Amino acid sequence: MAPIRVGIVGVPPLDVIRELCEADCRILDLDEPQVHKSIDLSSELLPRVYCAILRTVVLNAMFLDLDRVYIDVGPGKCDCALHVASILEEMLTAPVIRTTNLDNQPFGTPICRTRMKLFDKFMAVTAGVRSVKPADNLEPCTPTAGFWGVPPRDFSILEAFPDTTHIYGWTRCMENKTPADLELETHVNPDIPMVFFSQSFCAKSALAHHLARLHPRALFLDCDVTAGNSARAKIEAFLELSGVPTGPEG
Amino acid sequence: MILADFGTSYCKILETESSQPPRIIATRDLAPDFRADLATGHNAARRSRKHVNELTVLARGGECLIDDPDFVLLDCGSRDIKFVRYRDGQVADMGWNTECGASMGFTIELLGRYYNLEYDKLEVPLQGFPVTCGVLGMSNIFDAVVSGLSETEAVARFIRGIAVNGYRFAGSPEKLYLSGGLCDNPLFVGCFPCRVMPLGRFVLLRGLRQYLKNNG
Repeated sequence: MAPIRVGIVGVPPLDVIRELCEADCRILDLDEPQVHKSIDLSSELLPRVYCAILRTVVLNAMFLDLDRVYIDVGPGKCDCALHVASILEEMLTAPVIRTTNLDNQPFGTPICRTRMKLFDKFMAVTAGVRSVKPADNLEPCTPTAGFWGVPPRDFSILEAFPDTTHIYGWTRCMENKTPADLELETHVNPDIPMVFFSQSFCAKSALAHHLARLHPRALFLDCDVTAGNSARAKIEAFLELSGVPTGPEG
Repeated sequence: MILADFGTSYCKILETESSQPPRIIATRDLAPDFRADLATGHNAARRSRKHVNELTVLARGGECLIDDPDFVLLDCGSRDIKFVRYRDGQVADMGWNTECGASMGFTIELLGRYYNLEYDKLEVPLQGFPVTCGVLGMSNIFDAVVSGLSETEAVARFIRGIAVNGYRFAGSPEKLYLSGGLCDNPLFVGCFPCRVMPLGRFVLLRGLRQYLKNNG
């Protein structure tokens, strides 16, 4: 029998993930691109000028044959998800279950703090959402740069960063399996240059901008669906001018 | 060695072994096979052996030309605007706007030619249009002219709007160092609501020289 296909949006509570894993469900993270279709197809249901992550959610839901969707609409996600839940409910025949993840048991953040390609770190953290297990106990490295924010829609902006970049913000909360932990989300390192990333039209852009303003060496970066040349150039110049060695040796 | 700042409308070229000052050539007049050794700008990747990020050379140019550990340097080009902010001699913030700041310089030049205006003879207007970019801002001019404002006053207000937009983009500093061809436009310079220190149009070339010195 084919496994039950369950879409998740945000980080549903651990109890939900445990239940899905025990039932051998196939968990599909709708926040990530899962279908090779133009994101503009989602504009039938969602405005074009909207968070690219949630546009991706709607696009995925349009083309994936899902049996159920769990969408976190609490303080661990965003108000936009609350409204997208209504849209999903109207467009799908499958049940759409709203959750409010207030999990507060910390699982640790070894991936965010280890030496590894930033791209691979993000892949590992986002994959971890579908698991109830903590990440492997990786050795922490001394950070030379920081990336604060949610996992970007376009991972290509991560390429310029050195392997010793630490991840902060909501992505760190994801790995810790405490997505509503605002204290952890606002934690930064003032001793290293940091890029404060915001997905365009995301409510967290206010927090990204605020933290960047307070940080002594910060770059506030806002990107929509794909990162343009100017976004990549900004990161490259910021790291170089901050004296951050890039590449695997960085 | 040939250094070049390949701008959208104008190219600034410097031969390091020559005592001559940099040359300015309209991009459309540049020979198709012209190549630089080290360059920056939109066309640098295809017209040079090695190209450097524009923000990097803007910052390096600023470090050489500005004798202050705290400064904001804004470059207004034909097509985009970018800034770097330094605090205690270190880069503290930067921005590059290719969308909402788009085509400022190009539009100002285009309007000057179309309406036959001499910008050095225009008064700084008392108010400006709320302009977000050169292209969208032109509608304000047409609307104002239709409603009876003179073309000259309408363009001046447009330019004030553009300058205020650039000023806000750079973080609304008390003192702003300005880079780019618009340094030669007194109306534009006069429209900023802060003290402006024009550095001219060769800041990026200066940054390339510094890059060369640092990186060999």
